[in-house]
Amino acid sequence: MRLDIRYRCSFEYAELVHESQNELRACPVSDHRQTVLGYRVSTIPASRVFSFDDYWGTRVDTFGVREPHIYLEVVAEATVETRSTPLVTTTPTLDALSDPAFVQEHWEYLERTPHADWGGAIAKEAATQVELTGPEVVSVALGIHRRVGALLSYRPGTTYVGVEVDELLDRRQGVCQDYAHLAVAMCRSVGIPARYVSGYLFTDDDATGQDVDSDEVQVQTHAWFEAAVPGYGWLALDPTNRQAVGLRHVKIGHGRDYDDVSPLRGTYSGPHTATLEVGVEMRRLGSTTPVPSYHQQHQQQEQQQQ
Amino acid sequence: MLSRHAEHLFWTGRYVERAADTARLLDVTYHSLLSAPPAEARQGWHDVLDVLHATQAFAEDHEVVDARGVCDFLVRDVDNDGSIVCSVHRARENARSVRELVSTELWESLNTFWLELQSRDLRRDLEQQPYELYGIIRRRCQEVTGTAAETMPHDDGWRFLTLGSMLERAEMTCRLLNVRFAPFTEADDELGFHQATHVLRSASASEAFRKAHRSMTLKNVVEFLLLSATFPRSVLFCMRAAESALQDVDSPDRVSRAMRVLGRRRADLEFTDVAELLATDVHAFLEDIQEDIRRAAELVAVQFFRHTDEFAVFHSLERV
Amino acid sequence: MYTVAAMATDLFDGYLPESFFDEVFTGDGAVRPHYEDLVARLRVFTPRELARREQLRDVAFRSAGITFTVYGEDEGVERTFPMDLLPRIIPGDEWSIIEEGLIQRVTALNRFLDDLYVGEQAAIHDGIVPRWLVSSSDGFRREAAGIAVPQGARCLVAGIDLVRDAEGTYRVLEDNVRNPSGISYVLENRAAMTRVLPNLFGSLRVRPVDDYGVILLEALRNVAPPTAGDPTVVVLTPGVHNSAYFEHAFLARQMGVELVEGRDLVVDDHVVYMRTTRGLQRVDVIYRRIDDAFIDPVVFRRDSMLGVPGLVAAARAGNVTLANAVGNGVADDKAVYAFVPDLIRYYLGEEPIVQNCTTYLLWEPDQREAVLDRLDELVVKPVGESGGYGLCIGPAASDGELAEVAARIEADPRGYIAQEVVSLSRHPTLVDDHLEGRHVDFRPFVLSGETTKVIPGGLTRVALRRGSLVVNSSQGGGSKDTWVLRDDVKDDETKDEQAA
Repeated sequence: MRLDIRYRCSFEYAELVHESQNELRACPVSDHRQTVLGYRVSTIPASRVFSFDDYWGTRVDTFGVREPHIYLEVVAEATVETRSTPLVTTTPTLDALSDPAFVQEHWEYLERTPHADWGGAIAKEAATQVELTGPEVVSVALGIHRRVGALLSYRPGTTYVGVEVDELLDRRQGVCQDYAHLAVAMCRSVGIPARYVSGYLFTDDDATGQDVDSDEVQVQTHAWFEAAVPGYGWLALDPTNRQAVGLRHVKIGHGRDYDDVSPLRGTYSGPHTATLEVGVEMRRLGSTTPVPSYHQQHQQQEQQQQ
Repeated sequence: MLSRHAEHLFWTGRYVERAADTARLLDVTYHSLLSAPPAEARQGWHDVLDVLHATQAFAEDHEVVDARGVCDFLVRDVDNDGSIVCSVHRARENARSVRELVSTELWESLNTFWLELQSRDLRRDLEQQPYELYGIIRRRCQEVTGTAAETMPHDDGWRFLTLGSMLERAEMTCRLLNVRFAPFTEADDELGFHQATHVLRSASASEAFRKAHRSMTLKNVVEFLLLSATFPRSVLFCMRAAESALQDVDSPDRVSRAMRVLGRRRADLEFTDVAELLATDVHAFLEDIQEDIRRAAELVAVQFFRHTDEFAVFHSLERV
Repeated sequence: MYTVAAMATDLFDGYLPESFFDEVFTGDGAVRPHYEDLVARLRVFTPRELARREQLRDVAFRSAGITFTVYGEDEGVERTFPMDLLPRIIPGDEWSIIEEGLIQRVTALNRFLDDLYVGEQAAIHDGIVPRWLVSSSDGFRREAAGIAVPQGARCLVAGIDLVRDAEGTYRVLEDNVRNPSGISYVLENRAAMTRVLPNLFGSLRVRPVDDYGVILLEALRNVAPPTAGDPTVVVLTPGVHNSAYFEHAFLARQMGVELVEGRDLVVDDHVVYMRTTRGLQRVDVIYRRIDDAFIDPVVFRRDSMLGVPGLVAAARAGNVTLANAVGNGVADDKAVYAFVPDLIRYYLGEEPIVQNCTTYLLWEPDQREAVLDRLDELVVKPVGESGGYGLCIGPAASDGELAEVAARIEADPRGYIAQEVVSLSRHPTLVDDHLEGRHVDFRPFVLSGETTKVIPGGLTRVALRRGSLVVNSSQGGGSKDTWVLRDDVKDDETKDEQAA
């Protein structure tokens, strides 16, 4: 599926601020299931953007606005082609998870991290899934994925990353980041390496994530998770919408948790009050729709970065 | 030099000057009003608060305007930003932040000054021997300024120190003149001897005045304190000194905005005919000068210090 | 040769090397050749005269303002780092070996770090260092992945701590490649000695250290981004409240460069500038004495007011060089220390010239068990600390302390290593009016850049308490001036002996 994505984030400040420095992670990744055909970033006030791929392989655009300003906006536009991925045919069991080479390779995705740190309650939930669905890794991962979807109910609103995963079990509600973190924590607690994924989903309903007739939607950035399956690779699942990750999912990048792949982070000098507006427009394109002219620029940029 | 350092030195200069001028003003006022009738005394103290733009602040915590209340407020009240103890404290804090740049002697003289104020029973001093206290403060300030002149290299650091004190001094002289002579009346050429002496003594200018002028007239006093080219507390003298420092810290081919403001005003002053001036609104004239000085100081900050806060507050942007 | 008996001086009367390797005396009580001159000159000092020199020394240090503790509310507690009057001497031939070994070691560390952050991570792929060990190190900074440093000089300043064991062999105790401090004491100690005891230098040709500022500045300029014409170097300090502030200001003065704090710098268009009264002035190299975690609130700790937003992005864009580089902590992680000899073999194809101390890795169940059995005989250290904090010296610890250490190890085996207690060498040190042996270690400083150099000298630290092995400044240690002799002296001596 070919999609146009326009990510826009703006800040309106109560007073003039200055010396804003930012890191944007909004560019879709090119991997086995998607190819980025074009990408560009623009800011208001205008600034020169410096781009690189970070440790996790996510494209980062850094920019700064030194002069005093009362409004900051960043727009990232991408055209991406998604493909279906082959189904999992291997059926490794849980003992394959303790293979030393496998553990070594996935060590970073097995440890606790600030947003995916689990306590007894979570460990118990995960252990239950192992009992119910084991011993195949894929089944356990699916079991966890479904369980998280059942445990939490989707509560939209301003996203706030700061809730501990343990708390989620009490609150029973969250947004997509919470679903993803909980799933990641549960997987890790039973030895399945798991990583947090930031991306976009073409849908008009954040809660169900279902497809729509229309070819244009307005969404927020989305989050899901991937579980490592020995002999296969990473199995991508979307617990918020209780669906597998498919053609309408566009991945930006992954990490140990939200902190490694947050869409926009930065600092500025000035008073605290700011009105934040963020939104994503997605457009489904026919396969014959011409690719925007900045496609050329993007290809050149890619080459320069080799 | 680093903007942060320059700003600290600028304010060290300003605060030391502020402490000295406040002490001088209080000293003269106190002693000249000692034997004055109550109504005149009250007016005198009102005038002091006026000079220092402190009337409102004083009224917040005080009902009666009298010698004791005003001196207390202006000397030892830690909640009053303009008090002498606050000024000395801030001067020291600013100097401490640039301790490597100021000579050991300068730091020690400022530090000793501050410690001395801390250790004195200021309330008792004000009650029993205010003359002593004001004298000490004045001398300490002079020691600081003198030590700076003698032990600091006269580089940019020294220039900003000087810039700060000259701007402060110019403003203070303007205020002195302004309050003492408001409201002006056209025909008023004869000045009360008492009033005139008071003004001159507040500016430590009595003797110098007498060398320059024979009769104590309004015109002569205004002319002296506004336009004397040689007396170090005259407005013109201070503005020229400030301009000179400003010129030296900037690139030679530049005329900064601060310089334009100061330079224009200084040029205007140079050609002022005091007799003509006295026929117009002198009060407004003096207010305009003060306004220019304030603007110049702000422009100095914008150009040289960038108005960055002591601690720029960085806010993390949490995003979707 | 002189012997102790022939000395008959009050100073050395009753001095007992005991069973330790003594820097001055051999096992038979003879004075080592490179100390003969010094010992002879010390004979003429009465205890009173020495006491007077000590006073002179105190005055010299106090007036220079050499302290290492915080400026508190007003003045705070300012302690001087006590320097003992007796210098430590290293003969030229011994020094050559140490020098070679240090250059070798720092070269390997630089290669490892460069490979890790910018290269192919070959040492990990080839199994020399386990991947998880690197990933689990607090010092491993993923934010620095891909940031190159000119000449690969990531450890621009390294402080490699050496000790001498009972046989007198130098061994590396630990590597300090994040923010090693102490060079200011090296320089001030030398300056004090030349003022207070100039006669002791005698005919010995002691190699100078006072050109450190020049050497450091050159090394820093050497790693400037290639596009920088005449590079501007600054020293970045956390500020007056940092315990090493004195050294930051000292080095800035020695090099003649500006000492700045985070708020004096601003990043514009990925270039770093200093806020000066003449406008923004570009900065090309930053000798930063701020820990990684605080250096850039965009990338690291968001609550840090000490850093510069956008600094890491500017370094990545190649517009500024940070020295030492971000992420060196993984190399001075004490668990990685154990692998450094292998890294030397791997990257340089050479055998290590200076050995490690015997180290046990506690995540290996067998090693851990063996260690827990002998906790009272071993030294246990947390992997990420410096300054001797968290150290547990088995033979000196109480049962309670040992139990606590055991618990900590069980809970977090990756967080600790254990080492055999090294019987550190001792050096005669002035205690009141006589000399007693005190344990010493040694921190030489190595500078990388176009070439790798070792400063001829270094900080000899002394554990001032009798029997103590803890030499760190923050825990009651002191120091000695350290004299590295030119090789010629040894040559002259050999000739004399032959003639006699």
